[in-house]
Amino acid sequence: MYKIASQTARVVREARQHSYLSQQQLADAMGTSQSTIAKLERGEGNPTIETLARCAAAVGMVVRVEFVPAAIRDPVVDRYKHDVDRTLLRENLRKSVGERVRTLGEWQDNVRELQRATKEARRRK
Amino acid sequence: MTQLEQLLRALNDAGVEYIVVGGVAARAHGSARLTDDLDISYARTPANLGRIIKALAPLSPYLRGAPPGLPFDWSVATLRAGLNFTLTTSSGSIDLLGEITGGGEYEALLPHTISIVLFGADVLLLDIPWLIHVKRAAGRPKDFEVIAELEALHEEIEGR
Repeated sequence: MYKIASQTARVVREARQHSYLSQQQLADAMGTSQSTIAKLERGEGNPTIETLARCAAAVGMVVRVEFVPAAIRDPVVDRYKHDVDRTLLRENLRKSVGERVRTLGEWQDNVRELQRATKEARRRK
Repeated sequence: MTQLEQLLRALNDAGVEYIVVGGVAARAHGSARLTDDLDISYARTPANLGRIIKALAPLSPYLRGAPPGLPFDWSVATLRAGLNFTLTTSSGSIDLLGEITGGGEYEALLPHTISIVLFGADVLLLDIPWLIHVKRAAGRPKDFEVIAELEALHEEIEGR
């Protein structure tokens, strides 16, 4: 339940920020108070579907409910997960999507250049 | 412009209906892994096959790993006769996937995508839960590490 609350909080906060609205402006558009929006964005309370629909409408969106596959616990994956360098993930998450993909493209080009240089060095030997 | 950007621009400029899946999609979501190819799920409508042919023709597509010089007809008929194609082009490698294990065809994947603006165009990405789902369905040992990273990424995004 905690996870759904934190997800809802994030979705509301991101939708508001993408619409360049302050909490007060969003509250006004929804006919509610700024403190209600603040609570929503902290993942507190238990917002109704109607509240979420009004929030979505205020930023020109609609609510989509979706069932997704439940997380499957796999001991092998869990073992690998233990070694994932989350600092790299957090670093990437701070970048825009465009920057992440552009960096990948640059890395791909760099790797090709490295391979070319290594191949040439071997040939010279 | 990187090769990856050239490939995506070619698809977008021709109006190809596609979903980015695989390593590039994972990277766009925040993965730190590198990948050598662009994997896309594509709509197999006759019109879309025509768009793919038009988009990639200037990039000299050829079957990846095949000996050079083999006759390879880059045409709608060839795409219609096959399903999944692993290609090399002058702008890098691209895999055209008519169907994905555990995910099905383009239309079945559409509800599990997010739309992003990339290099100035709208691009569909398979979402993280479904990237994990299809990786699990593929059942390849090499994907364990990828699944682990995607799960960790999902946790970071969801603020767990």
